[in-house]
Amino acid sequence: MSRHRPGVRGRDHVVCTRRIRDVLVTTLWISTAASSLASAQASGGGITPPLSPRNANYTITARLDPAARTITGSETITWRNITARPATELQFHLYWNAWRNDRSTFMHELALAGQSNGPRADSDWSRIDVNSVKIDGADRTAVKRFIAPDDDNQDDQTVMAVGLAQPVVPGATATIEIAWSAHVPRPFARTGAIGNFFFIAQWFPKLGVLQDQGWNCHQFHAGTEFFSDFGVYDVSLTVPLGWPVGATGVQVKRDDNADRTTTYRYYQEDVHDFVWTTSPDYLERTARFDHPRLPPVDMRLLLQPEHASQADRHFNATRTTLKYYGEWFGPYPYGHITIIDPAFQSGAGGMEYPTLFTAGTRWLAPRGVATPEGVTVHEAGHQFWYGMVANNEFEDAWMDEGFNTYSTARALAADDTPNFLALRYFGGFIPRVVREIALSRETEGNRLTGYRHDAESDLPSTPSFRYFPSTGGSITYNKTALWLNTLERWLGWPAMQRILSEHFARWRFKHPKPDDFFTVASEVSGRDLTPFFDQVYRSSNVFDYGVQELQSTRDGDHFHTSVVVRRHGEAVFPVDVAVVFRNGDRITEHWDGEDRWKLYRYDRASEAVSAQVDPNRVLLLDANYTNNSIALEPRGSAAATKWSLAWMVWLQECLLSWAALV
Amino acid sequence: MGGAGLNAWRDGIRRVNGAPALAAALWALTLAVTLPMALAMRSLLARHLGASVAAETAASGVNYDWMQEFSDQAAGLGVTFKPTIIGFGAVADNLSAFLDHSERPVVIVAAASVYILLWIFAAGGIIDRYARDRPTHATGFFAASGVFFFRFLRLGVLQAIVYSTLFSSLHPLLFERLYPKLTHDLTVERTAFLLRVGLYLVFGALVALCVTVFDYAKVRAIVEDRRSMISATIEGIRFVRRNAADTTALFLLNFGSFLAVVGLYAALVPAVAGTGVSMWVAVMTGQLYLLARLWVKLVFWASETALFQSRLAHVGYVSRPEPRWPESPQAEQI
Repeated sequence: MSRHRPGVRGRDHVVCTRRIRDVLVTTLWISTAASSLASAQASGGGITPPLSPRNANYTITARLDPAARTITGSETITWRNITARPATELQFHLYWNAWRNDRSTFMHELALAGQSNGPRADSDWSRIDVNSVKIDGADRTAVKRFIAPDDDNQDDQTVMAVGLAQPVVPGATATIEIAWSAHVPRPFARTGAIGNFFFIAQWFPKLGVLQDQGWNCHQFHAGTEFFSDFGVYDVSLTVPLGWPVGATGVQVKRDDNADRTTTYRYYQEDVHDFVWTTSPDYLERTARFDHPRLPPVDMRLLLQPEHASQADRHFNATRTTLKYYGEWFGPYPYGHITIIDPAFQSGAGGMEYPTLFTAGTRWLAPRGVATPEGVTVHEAGHQFWYGMVANNEFEDAWMDEGFNTYSTARALAADDTPNFLALRYFGGFIPRVVREIALSRETEGNRLTGYRHDAESDLPSTPSFRYFPSTGGSITYNKTALWLNTLERWLGWPAMQRILSEHFARWRFKHPKPDDFFTVASEVSGRDLTPFFDQVYRSSNVFDYGVQELQSTRDGDHFHTSVVVRRHGEAVFPVDVAVVFRNGDRITEHWDGEDRWKLYRYDRASEAVSAQVDPNRVLLLDANYTNNSIALEPRGSAAATKWSLAWMVWLQECLLSWAALV
Repeated sequence: MGGAGLNAWRDGIRRVNGAPALAAALWALTLAVTLPMALAMRSLLARHLGASVAAETAASGVNYDWMQEFSDQAAGLGVTFKPTIIGFGAVADNLSAFLDHSERPVVIVAAASVYILLWIFAAGGIIDRYARDRPTHATGFFAASGVFFFRFLRLGVLQAIVYSTLFSSLHPLLFERLYPKLTHDLTVERTAFLLRVGLYLVFGALVALCVTVFDYAKVRAIVEDRRSMISATIEGIRFVRRNAADTTALFLLNFGSFLAVVGLYAALVPAVAGTGVSMWVAVMTGQLYLLARLWVKLVFWASETALFQSRLAHVGYVSRPEPRWPESPQAEQI
């Protein structure tokens, strides 16, 4: 039982001391992390010395025919086997075959999620056809075949296997030459073309990841993303003359061709994907991120003309990410970043790729609402969680999406980015800012509502691609962000920052698994956090604590006070119980939260006025927070009157609108 | 164009202002229909809040976390408790829902049906009062309402057919088939919005035309004591067609009044405050706004009545005799 009640002066002193300590810790961390990357010089897409294994390197040549919506490409992959097992075949992702017809696993899952893109013209579907495959000079086209390792769907053509004449032994290198042609779809999953806007992602035959257990090359799923090895990308893209290109990496060459096309060459080392976009409508803006202790970053923004006035908002949000993520987790080493503001209806917004991301805004984007800031910070943040710390998004999507949702909310709050609720009317075009509602980091930033709906929908430890398609996001993004923020509120930000920065330092340019993070968390915090991870990761149980009863009765000059607190949910977490008395006294109890209920009794000179479980709302996963407290002089009735009267005006207005037809 | 429309509008305002009890009664009617539901909502909110300290912030301002939690767990009536009820959001939400034909929960549709039925009943008495342009008192009002209730119910069937065609067939045609087709390859949001506004105007104009025709059908039914609602509607169409300029001008004046009332409310609606005086100020502001909306609705009818009567040989003519009880000493002896 704790009865600590520090005075104001003492509290301020503690806060001040903590702040100084936090600043020192952060500065020390940045210095250490920066010094480890100090020798990494970034220039023209090159990074010296290498930051990653660079075992899957691509040299690609591709040509876009915008009228026919086709891409003709060839690539040479230099792949080194960095596992302990020999490779007897190679496996490639052919993502665009997911949209070849409605029989793919992706389309089945989309239908299962209740999402339908409606009927499509034949030309709106996509395909990728591999025309030839040579491995170390030998033509292996005849032995290529489609496999479906996840569900045996014989109609799914998103994974191609090619048998090898000779195994690639550990440490050995294979050279793979592939020629292919592809049809660009009308947008599907942030990829495709609309009008003269082209966003070309997941577009080339791409190797899976060979691990000691074998190939990790999943089919394309509707609810999950991607996984691949780091390498060097050297890509030449031919597009119509006058169409600017945004792409992963740095433009190192540009040739205007006689046939009124332009060939751009982009180059980038230490990345695991390559994306590009082109449209004659793009406006180009540039800016720079400077920070006293972090490497500078050149920012390039390609944006839609109707959003020209929002350029600074995109840059400032990107600066927010580079600053806070850089200070908290580690520096961004590439020296450049490209921000894409996608066209209306392109469906390309809000997606991350190495050194490039798509933001997302609206024509009417009032100040005070975090659009485009929210999505910009989030996608820029993926440069850290996904870009550098490259977990398997098929299996452990929460490790980047959840981490990044948590980090995004924290960065926006740290930056004091105004974030009022906006409601959209008239087809969603007209926003109305509700100035009375400032969205909180803890609940809205971490998306509590979505989690509350789908809390038990899946076990987080299930491979992400097996989550139920329509609710998986609530587990991947929301639950993870909520438990990370809970961990922060439980351990304190300095400890949490150390955990995340250590995880970042240990696993950047590698592929961490969940246990890698759990190990780091326990090591750095100095306590066994397994019980916590058992609750939030290995269980789909719901947290719900509450105050069942509060009584305070006079007995002479004393008051007998009793408080019954209850664990309504199955999940367990240690919580505080605070009892406040009329004379201002406050008692805080620490309850391990394990029993179904617990009784506290007090005999004091003052009567109790309220009791509250988890008064500081440490446990953000508590699905029902309203029941966490009882006041002996409640104002529920007054509040209900106020809000029901406000609602009545809405109802009266609603009825009157329909009465106009009488 | 439309000089008569302006005169009719002024005359309509005069007639409505001359019968303030009607507006007050309709406000009371609106309150009577909505108050039980508001009490039910109050009960839901109070039950959810219980004795929680969360009620403190919900009472003194906006506790969005609690609102979200309530909304997430709500069913039935409770699902309509959303931030959109705050201030001018209520108006924006309803206008948007009207134009976008958004679905409302069954309980709201049921309430709207009852409310519309009451309006159908009251319409006879209201228009009769404005047509006579002199007090008809409660007896006259209810007599006219009673006489015309079943006629307007039959007209209501016709209206239901027309409006359901507009909202269930034309609206999807415009906004679910034509709009996607028009914007299929658009990459500029502003252009898409302008196209949508264009479709709103088309749809709104058709709704306005139907409302106007049915309004004049009701006016003619009352002034000319018509029994057949089909013929009243046909005559309503003829009147609108023959007096297109004046009926259009009058509609625009009335619609302008509606926009002015909405704009004024948008400017004056108070922010969410506590539960004391400020709460009642917000409630009063809301009720004044509703009264103003009702006034506009009544001016619509009164001015349309005035315009129609201005075309008659005898201004203020009403075919049906004003009811008088007892009709005769003999009747009293029955």
